Amino acid sequence: MKSMYIHIPFCNSICSYCDFCKMYYEEDLVLSYLDALKKEIDRFYQKETLKTLYIGGGTPSHLSKACLTKLFKIIDTFPLDINYEFTFECNIEDLSLSLLTFLYHHRVNRLSIGVESFLEKNLTFLNRHHTKEEVFKKIVLAKQVGFSNISIDLMYALLNETLQELEKDIDFALSLDVSHISLYSLIIEEHTKIQIEQIEPISEELDLKMYQFIEKKLEQSGYIHYEVSNYAKKGFESKHNLVYWNNDVYYGFGLGASGYIGDVRYTNTRSLNHYLKGNYRYQEEKLSKEIKMSNEMILGLRKLEGIALDDFQKKYEKRVEEVYDIKDLLDSKSLEIEKGYLRIPKDKIYVSNAILVRFV
Amino acid sequence: MQENIRNFSIIAHIDHGKSTLADRILEITGAVSKREAKEQLLDNMDIERERGITIKLNQVQLQYTYKETEYYLHLIDTPGHVDFSYEVSRSLAACEGAILVVDAAQGVEAQTLANLYLAMEHDLTIIPVINKIDLPNADIEKVKKELVNELGFKEEEIILTSAKNGTGIKELVEAVIDRIPAPKGDKNKPLQGLIFDSFFDSYRGVVVTTRIMNGEVKVGDTIRFMETGATYEVTELCVMTPKEKQLQKLSCGEVGQVVASIKAIQDVRVGDTFTLDKNPASLPLPGYQPMKSMVYCGIYPIESTKFDDLRDALDKLKLNDASLVYEPETSKALGFGFRCGFLGLLHMDIIEERIEREFHIDLIATSPSVIYQVTLTDGSEIEIDAPTKLPDRQLIKEIREPYVKTSIFTPSEYIGPIMELCQNKRGEYVGMDYLDTTRVNIHYDLPLSEIIYDFFDRLKSSTKGYASFDYEIAGYRKSDLVRLDILLNGELVDAFSTIVHKDFAYSRGRAIVEKLRSIIPRQLFEVPIQASIGAKIIARENIKALRKDVLAKCYGGDITRKRKLLEKQKEGKKRMKQVGSVEIPQEAFLSVLTMDDK
Repeated sequence: MKSMYIHIPFCNSICSYCDFCKMYYEEDLVLSYLDALKKEIDRFYQKETLKTLYIGGGTPSHLSKACLTKLFKIIDTFPLDINYEFTFECNIEDLSLSLLTFLYHHRVNRLSIGVESFLEKNLTFLNRHHTKEEVFKKIVLAKQVGFSNISIDLMYALLNETLQELEKDIDFALSLDVSHISLYSLIIEEHTKIQIEQIEPISEELDLKMYQFIEKKLEQSGYIHYEVSNYAKKGFESKHNLVYWNNDVYYGFGLGASGYIGDVRYTNTRSLNHYLKGNYRYQEEKLSKEIKMSNEMILGLRKLEGIALDDFQKKYEKRVEEVYDIKDLLDSKSLEIEKGYLRIPKDKIYVSNAILVRFV
Repeated sequence: MQENIRNFSIIAHIDHGKSTLADRILEITGAVSKREAKEQLLDNMDIERERGITIKLNQVQLQYTYKETEYYLHLIDTPGHVDFSYEVSRSLAACEGAILVVDAAQGVEAQTLANLYLAMEHDLTIIPVINKIDLPNADIEKVKKELVNELGFKEEEIILTSAKNGTGIKELVEAVIDRIPAPKGDKNKPLQGLIFDSFFDSYRGVVVTTRIMNGEVKVGDTIRFMETGATYEVTELCVMTPKEKQLQKLSCGEVGQVVASIKAIQDVRVGDTFTLDKNPASLPLPGYQPMKSMVYCGIYPIESTKFDDLRDALDKLKLNDASLVYEPETSKALGFGFRCGFLGLLHMDIIEERIEREFHIDLIATSPSVIYQVTLTDGSEIEIDAPTKLPDRQLIKEIREPYVKTSIFTPSEYIGPIMELCQNKRGEYVGMDYLDTTRVNIHYDLPLSEIIYDFFDRLKSSTKGYASFDYEIAGYRKSDLVRLDILLNGELVDAFSTIVHKDFAYSRGRAIVEKLRSIIPRQLFEVPIQASIGAKIIARENIKALRKDVLAKCYGGDITRKRKLLEKQKEGKKRMKQVGSVEIPQEAFLSVLTMDDK
């Protein structure tokens, strides 16, 4: 069984913080793109049953009816596992009764919705074009159509953001009563609008306070903190994203997408011209056992639960302690072992890079 | 022929155009074509170029036909900093004359004088040159007046040049032939070769640069180094033109290089004399001095596995830098390293930089120290060259530190700032001489330990570079000194310990902990930094714990980027030294040297 990610790199508006592979929406281009996408999938996909499928972007929800139909013509043929999870990324302003119904009838069973914030000031800064009222309306609509697994993205540590503002955002988010919330501290990535404008990040101290506040508040409200930036109600952890963090294999299709099949991690080209000509792959790397183990640690320790030591041993025929000298990390409580799991303690997750460098 | 040889060097204040002038002389004598004349050909080490100073001596033989006679001109390059005055004096001893270069815009400066005095001590014929006359702000008349009125040259002796566009170079070369005497010395006397430089060549061993003062040496001769007594058979003789030219012999008056498969680098010392083993000279040439180190510091490899490489590097540097001394030492914080002695702070800087650059060893240097004399309560006497070696206070009856007598030459408008600087450095005012209406010579007695910090830099900055200073050791004086220790996370880091005057201990301690707090990056836990004298904590700061060091988002494709990010972070860690549980960047150790204690 496999997983699959499909990238739709088209947007009608570019967010100020986004460094993903994206471009402005143009109907003709999208149609050609979908042709190339079909060819890529046909060439590499072995028709395995999929346990998770994720369509991200870009803004897949912005596809026109014609494009959407074309895309799902490809997808409708995929065999899905009985417990499959099929996520579709959406913008608030794209959510309509017709779109939601379409998705629902084409087997999508999870929506990932970019809410980011409820406050006008933040939304302007991020260059997002919805309002708080719209968010409430659209989430209710999605639920009415029948979606019970809804995830929303929120961002914090935004320009001059205060703890009080964050508290408001979190209160609004909780009132939506969705099954999954991702909360990302703003990363100022290169070549983004906010980096070019030299936006100053908020202080490390405040950032940590916000993180701690979020964790406390969401846990009180019945969400489980299961990954650095992810919270879910019990049983609603993202199966697809756990594939990444468990260092499992998955297909990645589309412009700029990455995948991990067999021993090879690959990245697709970000050039639409190359992609349309069928030159999909930009980079392929056959991973050594060392790199695989290292990835297993770097990714696995993002999960609050940590890494199952037995699983590691089964997978690599070596115990973690044989491969890495972690005694001092355990002594200084930068790592802990409990019930067969090795993990970064909760209070150190926010400085995990300083610990993860030991595994590269 | 001995009478057709001229041995000379060029002396100048820093940046007055010495190296460019040398390049032009090389060009006009056809030693190098314009095309191959890399800028500043004689300075062949990167560091020299970057700092604009010459550290290593170099020599080159030039041929020039003048009045139908072929002349051999040996240009001997000299280092330009006070730390290297012994090396300068040895290379000047190899010359009969010197070109004194003065910048047409800047005029006579401190180093001009210092170098001129050195040259005069060696009884050299001086040719005064005003260079850079092409500069728009050149004031040739004023500089001429300085040379005539202050330095006592005759106006008609002065040659005007522009090394940049070649003006006056021919006249200068011919003046070298006309005015500088041919070398003296007797070809028939027993061999006396003055070693004024040496360097290590991995194929040929130690290469000795020499001026033959008497007699001659041939390939196949067995030579003996008079100071060390070592003997070797000469396998090669050559001269740089600047390409290497093999010779069968070097005779009285000539300058060249001797190769003799010398592997033991300690056998060759700058300033020593070599002679023939069979027919030795009765006495060595005068002027040899074993080097006296003024400043000591510990040098450690960041990676402890590089200790042997470091020893190797020091051995090789020692070859062309007789003044470098070192012996192994151990630090609790830093592991195995060397206690090294230097002529001064610049010398220390240069050696450290050369080790890092030429031998690719990342270093940590501890704060420099002078030699202290300590009388213990039981009456015994010890000498201390490292703060960590200072015994417990209860065991000490008295500590004495070296003082120097300084002469600070300065235009009179800077008297105020200089006196303030000296007072802050525990100086004792001795007196002041007016040289003329605008220049003074200020005398202070200062502790050497205060000078080795940043005295020179401060003097320069408070006088816009006009003041210069000279010092001589003036014996030891009793001082109220204490050892200032630094504790990180409660553990004493010996590499940060310094010996300071009790009155300054508090402010120095404060300054060090503040500086360390700003340099040491946040760690996973809070790290207290304390300064202490004995058991008494006199200053404290905290490095806050790291708050955020995480990648918020990491999905499918991000793993490759995430790895790169972590790899970069790990690379940064490599430049840090783990001391106890704390990671300390290299700069932290250096920062203690440049404290700004007002």
